[in-house]
Amino acid sequence: MNKSWMQKQQWMGYLFIAPNMLGVFFFFVLPTLFSFVLMFTDYRFMRPDVNFVGLENFRRLFKDPIFYESLKNTAIFLASVPVSILLAFFVAVILNRSVYLKNLLRALFFLPYVTSGVAIAFVWMLLFQPSVGPINAMLRFIGIDNPPGWLSTTSSAMYAIDIIWIWFMLGYNMIIYLAALQEISTELMEAAKIDGARSWQTVRHVIWPLVSPTTFLLLVTGLIMTMKTFGIIQAITQGGPGNSTTILSLFVYQNAFRYYEMGYASAISWVLFMIILVITLIQWVGQKKWVHY
Amino acid sequence: MDLDLTRQTRKQAAMALPVRERRFVPGKLNVWKLLVTIVMLFFGFLMIVPFVWMFSTSIKSPAETFVFPFKWIPDEINWNHHIKVWTGPKSFVTYYLNSIKIAAVATVGATFLSALAGYGFSRIRFKGREALFLAYLSMMMIPPQVLFVPKFIMFDWIGIYNTHWALILPGMFTILGVFLMRQFFLGIPQEISESAFIDGAGHLRIFFRIFLPLSKPALATLAIIDFSWHWNDYENALVFLLDEKLYTVPLGLQNFILENTVDYNGMMAAATAGIIPMIIVFLLGQKFIVQGITNTAIKG
Repeated sequence: MNKSWMQKQQWMGYLFIAPNMLGVFFFFVLPTLFSFVLMFTDYRFMRPDVNFVGLENFRRLFKDPIFYESLKNTAIFLASVPVSILLAFFVAVILNRSVYLKNLLRALFFLPYVTSGVAIAFVWMLLFQPSVGPINAMLRFIGIDNPPGWLSTTSSAMYAIDIIWIWFMLGYNMIIYLAALQEISTELMEAAKIDGARSWQTVRHVIWPLVSPTTFLLLVTGLIMTMKTFGIIQAITQGGPGNSTTILSLFVYQNAFRYYEMGYASAISWVLFMIILVITLIQWVGQKKWVHY
Repeated sequence: MDLDLTRQTRKQAAMALPVRERRFVPGKLNVWKLLVTIVMLFFGFLMIVPFVWMFSTSIKSPAETFVFPFKWIPDEINWNHHIKVWTGPKSFVTYYLNSIKIAAVATVGATFLSALAGYGFSRIRFKGREALFLAYLSMMMIPPQVLFVPKFIMFDWIGIYNTHWALILPGMFTILGVFLMRQFFLGIPQEISESAFIDGAGHLRIFFRIFLPLSKPALATLAIIDFSWHWNDYENALVFLLDEKLYTVPLGLQNFILENTVDYNGMMAAATAGIIPMIIVFLLGQKFIVQGITNTAIKG
């Protein structure tokens, strides 16, 4: 009787998910389809004449030097992800076992992630100020006469952004690692110790392989998240100086809302989408190959 | 010889204790642990130096701002920059009210709708459920950059561009939230639903009377994460808001900084205004935030 009742209530399932489905359709599915059409047009905001131009936007894109520059900048930006993961791993291993004041320390490392956003980006902008900023004041104090120009020179700006991003992501990665480390059985750790493994060897040959699924997950999600972000860069450098901090996602934004080249911007956004798709596919394949529980 | 024996027995005694207690056996380890703690504290405080410097600068006079070595606490505490941020024609009060309005409405909506859909996806068996859920999750892959332009045009058509609705309405639908709630509901024993069925309750009643009250911790987690996301959201506000009087805190902050490019103390007072709510959320809800991000990250 119970079963039949549940059968009868099946339609309620659609009722429960309907509001969300409607929203997701309207704010995700429909815009995606719309964007797919837009990328084949020369649509510019407020211009009435819209033409289908086929693959013209892509032809233009592959000739656009800023596109290649933005790819290079994106690569430098993505390089911050493994660095942050590795640092987070060491912090998590240390905080997991051999310290007092665990909760305080965890909170200190985690705070930047929670308070993210442009507010703290502006603080970094001043910290990095080349002539009077505190970071360079410190560097001069310890004897470096020509400290880098950080955000103000084309050669260093992207790396300065990397530092901010590493600082910001560290807490997130650490939290996930801490959760993963809780899963490692203490017996296994004890066995390693009894076998005479030194701390470093335990970390290198026992802990690191055991958390490899977590590392892989953090790498993939971190890369995707980094591909999608542009807020802090838009806030503090607007992609400059020159185009030295114009990453791909910012390139989309600027074409769409600074130059109102919306067809062109749509085409670029699909290139970005494809890169994310490739990373996701690697995750699917990799999960089967790498992840051993 | 004697000494060696005691050392050995001590070692054996230590091994016999469970790991947790072994830490308290006096010896070399504790000094080491203390040293590691001090080193980690140094790095930990290095992590929050930007916050400390921000606040310290916000209560300094311009002359003291870049004095080296740093004066963390200025000789004379100067609240003028904070007063400037909170009063005057472009007061942060407006930005705060806008941000609170958007974040609160969107968060309440998103939390409720996520719970509703999470229940549907976990506790009601209907045709095409799994396929639908998969399609649903796959939407998460679409980067916001793909959506900005079409949403901008669509919102312009339906007349919500440059209104708070442009942020609130899409903000009420979070795929991650549905995922989180579904996970939580899957963990509630099936017997609870069955006994309620036998008592004649329908899904709506079970959802409102049993599941919602049971899932307070999950709802709190979701609400906190969602609220901070909306509070920090700069990118959407940048694309969809135009009028200064509609600005949220991140946009207001940017505006303040563009207009006061040399007033470093004022900039840091404004940044403080933007960050304080997040620090409060962090202090009150750290446990929920940690739970939320570990639950959503470890899904594979």
